[in-house]
Parts: sequence; structure tokens; C-alpha cells
Amino acid sequence: MIQIQSLGKQFQNETQITYRDMIFETGRSYMLLGASGCGKSTLLNMIAGVLSPTTGTILIDGKDMTAASQKVKDRFRIEKIGYIFQDFKLINEMTVADNIGILRLEGIDISGMDEMLEALDIFEKKDAKIKHLSGGQKQRVAIARALVKRPDIILADEPTGNLNFAIGEQVIRQLVEVSKGKTLIAVTHDDRLAKYFDEVIDMNEMTSGMQDVPSGKEDC
Amino acid sequence: MLKFALKNMAIKKMQVILITLSIVISAGIAVLAFNVATQVDEGITNNAGYYSAIVGPAGSSTQLAMNSMYFTDEPVGTVPYSIVTTLQQDSRVTQVIPFAMADNYNGYGVVGTTPAFLQSKDLRVGEMFAADETLQAVVGSNIAKYNSLEVGDVIYTSHSANGSDLHTKGITIVGILKESHSSYDNIVFTQLKTLWEMHEHGEQEENSAEEHHHTHGTVCAVLVNTKTPGFAMQLVEEYDGKIITADDGDNTTLQAIEPMSVVRDVLNDADDTKYIVFVLCAVILVMNIMIISIITLLNMYHSAKEISLMRLIGISMKRINLLYVIQNGIMGLCAVILAFFVSRGCMVLMNDYVESMGVVLNMSKVYAAEFLILLAVFIISVLPTVIWTFSMSKKDGITD
Repeated sequence: MIQIQSLGKQFQNETQITYRDMIFETGRSYMLLGASGCGKSTLLNMIAGVLSPTTGTILIDGKDMTAASQKVKDRFRIEKIGYIFQDFKLINEMTVADNIGILRLEGIDISGMDEMLEALDIFEKKDAKIKHLSGGQKQRVAIARALVKRPDIILADEPTGNLNFAIGEQVIRQLVEVSKGKTLIAVTHDDRLAKYFDEVIDMNEMTSGMQDVPSGKEDC
Repeated sequence: MLKFALKNMAIKKMQVILITLSIVISAGIAVLAFNVATQVDEGITNNAGYYSAIVGPAGSSTQLAMNSMYFTDEPVGTVPYSIVTTLQQDSRVTQVIPFAMADNYNGYGVVGTTPAFLQSKDLRVGEMFAADETLQAVVGSNIAKYNSLEVGDVIYTSHSANGSDLHTKGITIVGILKESHSSYDNIVFTQLKTLWEMHEHGEQEENSAEEHHHTHGTVCAVLVNTKTPGFAMQLVEEYDGKIITADDGDNTTLQAIEPMSVVRDVLNDADDTKYIVFVLCAVILVMNIMIISIITLLNMYHSAKEISLMRLIGISMKRINLLYVIQNGIMGLCAVILAFFVSRGCMVLMNDYVESMGVVLNMSKVYAAEFLILLAVFIISVLPTVIWTFSMSKKDGITD
């Protein structure tokens, strides 16, 4: 269970976002909807330990992660969190297998890689370089890398942001399928995908203050 | 980790090759310069200290020393053999070795002397030529190797450098010297009388005028050892500039030198050159260090995206540091190993030039300082990465 309590984040440009208290139950899937700059991606980054909140606490299974050291946060992220980034965060010159194999640097077991790639219909591209894949295929690789380590929490930041609706819907369907039994929090703009999630949270109602979002960027 | 580092290097192979080549060039030059300069220095010094004085005809003192000790250049001229007899009777003198150089065998010089000249050299096979015989020779190891010569073989020396004017009398090889990586490896040693005998024959030939330097009863130099260094100085003072009259009535002006001081002068000149080479190498090395550092830092700058990506998925800075240190360590290690072999390859190319100074470069000779140079280059090739990743760790590139 993830508990958000009195959480706030102030950025260097003085923009501040304050979050209402929230609870994400274990084993349920959540879709975060909201306008650009409302703080959806910032919330995911703070849960993942990539960003530190300015105020408040994030309790994960009762443990205050905001007070933990960066080393503990890193360890927690690599072991317990599967983070799917909007822009994939893959190394283009490396193969699908090598991009997932990066996790072995931290001793993560990736023995389920083939099974995961098959579940995501991308197994035949295992030895292909990322630069030769389509956007949809890259997104599936990013999902595979996030889920292969069997994380307890899956964070997905605009997982369909770079895909057309048909492919995006297929990716979300697969993501929800492979995430069953885990906590899934996905940020998206597309409310047509809401039917695949247990709960939809309108972040416009859960936050106050807005981030400046550069033109063309949708990740708030 | 190693597997991933190798894969990561493979995707940047052109960059890796360029950095490695840059390190190979700088380290190779530094090691080569040090090794060659040291071997030349040692080779020249080892030979020079052996004799107290050298007496020969007036002319260039350097030429006299270099010819009689390192067999380089032409002899300055000849002096009557009576000088040898006179010196042998001198109570201050412990050893007198006549030295004459004439003719060649397939381009290798032929030296006429006594067995005492080779007393510090070991024979690989056979025995020393007999002092009271003629037409016997001991050959250097390179001559035996490259001409497939064995003890008992008969060789024919020649007046001319192109080997077209062969003497009719053959010289029997009685011994082969052990390889010494010096100019002794490339010389045929025989009795003085053998040379005289050849040239009595030579004088009967039509072109005997070319051989006037080596007529019967003359030598090119006399190598002398004295009881004390003071006696050597006295001899040099006495014989230097002295005019003697030979049996045929010809006057000959002598020069006498202390070989160590002559060689010291040569080495001083060579040292200046050596220091210039070292300074140039140092400049090249510093420039290369800067280039290596800049390339490595640019490499790391370009890797910042990769590092940031790894940080986002949870790879710790400690692991990332290790990954890049391994990558640069592999490059640095390959580069210094290659640099070592490149320097040895260059020594093969330089050997002909260095042989003219009487020194044969030994490829297998390795100095501890060479390893220090290579170690320094290795550290320099890894250091920028360590500094970069360390500073990245301090900043922790992912937050805010």
C-alpha cells in the first residue's frame, strides 16, 4: 500500500504543487488523469524515489521512503518498482535482450525475460537493436524491462503517449494483464483507456498549483 | 559486468579504437625513446671503460675510438707494428692488443687482432683462433646465423664492399661467438698475420693501390691497458703527437687517447640529443594525455544520457562507476600492451641505424622504468573516468 500524506514539491522555478492525501491499495490498478502540469509525473517520480518531495511523506507498506537515503531509494526502485517511461529510456544501439540485461548489473534475476517478451508479443525481436523497432515495440520492451523483475509496484508514465490509439490500447491491455496482482499506477491523458483500470483518479482535483510545462510536452 | 562493459564498448567501437590508438601512440613513443636511449648509452659505456689508452695514427680521436672499439667508420690509417713491440716492453703497461681492420665478408667487417681482444667474449661453439697460426677466424653470432656458417667452414673475404674482389686464400672458422647484442655479433675476428698474409697477396694484384693502408707490418690501432690510470695519462702525453720513423723511412705522426674521455664527449653530445628526444617525447606524451583526457571526458559527456537512463531504472552510481572504469581499464590495458609491442617493432626498424653506433638493440631487454611509463599511461587513461563518475556520484544526476 502506498500512502501519500501532505505531499508537496517546490521546483527551482518557484512552481509549487501540493497534493491531497491519497492511498494506492496493493493489487489494484490506478489511472491518473489530468491536465498538463498538474503534477502527475512528479508524483510518480517521487514514489519511485527519482525526485525528493519538499514536504510531506510517502509511506510504502508503512515505511517512510521520503526519509530514506538515495542508496535505499535506488535499491528499492531496482527491486520493488517497475517504472515505464514515456520516452522508453532504452539504449538505441543495444539489443532488446541487452536493454533488459542492464538489470543484471544490480544482480536482478531476469530469467523470466523470454516469458515476458512472449506475453508482450515481442519475443521475435529479442536480438534486434532498439533503433530498428517501432514505437509500439519499444514501449513493449520498456514494459518488459519494468516487469521482468516481478516488481510489487508498477509506475507507467504516459505509456501510450507515443503510440496511436489502437496500438496504445493494445499496450495498455497487455500492461494491465501482466500487472495483475500488483499495484499499477498509470498516467495518461486518454480517458478512453479508463475501462482497463480498477480506479481512475482525476489529478486536477487532487493537486493545487501547476507546473510550467514546456510547449509540446505532455508529462506533468 | 564485464560482459556488459564489452557490449557497451562494441557499440562505440570507432570511439574505442580512436582512444586506444591515441594511447598506443603516446605510450609507444615514450617506451621506445626510453629503451633505445638507455640501451645505446649502456652499450657504448660498457665497451669504452675496458681500455686505458689507444694509440693510433693522427686524425680524429672519435674515429680512432669508435673504429677500434665499436668497429664503426673506417680506420683513421695505420701505424707501424713496431709501436706494439715498444709498448709491450714498457713496464707501465699490462696488456697490448694490436688492432687492424680491413676487407669484409659479405659486408661484415674483418678485424685482425690477438685472442686477447676477445677475452671478455664467450664462444657459443668451437675454440679461439690460435695466436701463432694464420687463416683461422672466430665469427660473430649474427654472421654465423645469417650466413649459415658452422665451425670448419671456410670463408673468403673480399677487398671490395660489393664482394666482387675475393681473396684466393680461405679462412677457416674455428669458433662462433655467443650472441652479445653488440657490434661483436657482426664482425669476423682473425689473426693479425692473416690480414697481413691476405695483403701480401693483395699487393700482387693490379688494384693493390687501394690497399696501401694495410700493408705488412702495420696496424690500425694499439689498445693498451696500464697498471694505473696515472700511467695511462703519462702514455697519452708521451705518444700523442709523437713522430716515428718506420723501417721504410716513412714518418708517421701518432695520436694517443683515453677512450673513456673520448666516449664521454661523444655521449655528452648524444645526451643532449637524448634529452631533446625525451623533451619531445614528454611534450607528445603531455599532449596525448590532454587528448586522451578530453576524448575520455567527451565520451563520458556523451554517456551522460546513458548514465542518467541507468540511474532512472535504479542502477546505483557505484555500479555505473565500476562499469565505466572497467571499460576504460580494458581500453587502457589493451593500449599499453599494444604500445609495448609497437615499441619493439619500431626497435627492429631502428636497429640498422643504431648498429652504426656499435650497439645492437636487444628486443627482449626490458627496463623497470618502461613498466612505470606504461603504468602511468594506464592510470592516466582511467583517471578521467574515475574523476568524472566520482563527481557524478557527488551530484547524483537524477534528482531535481
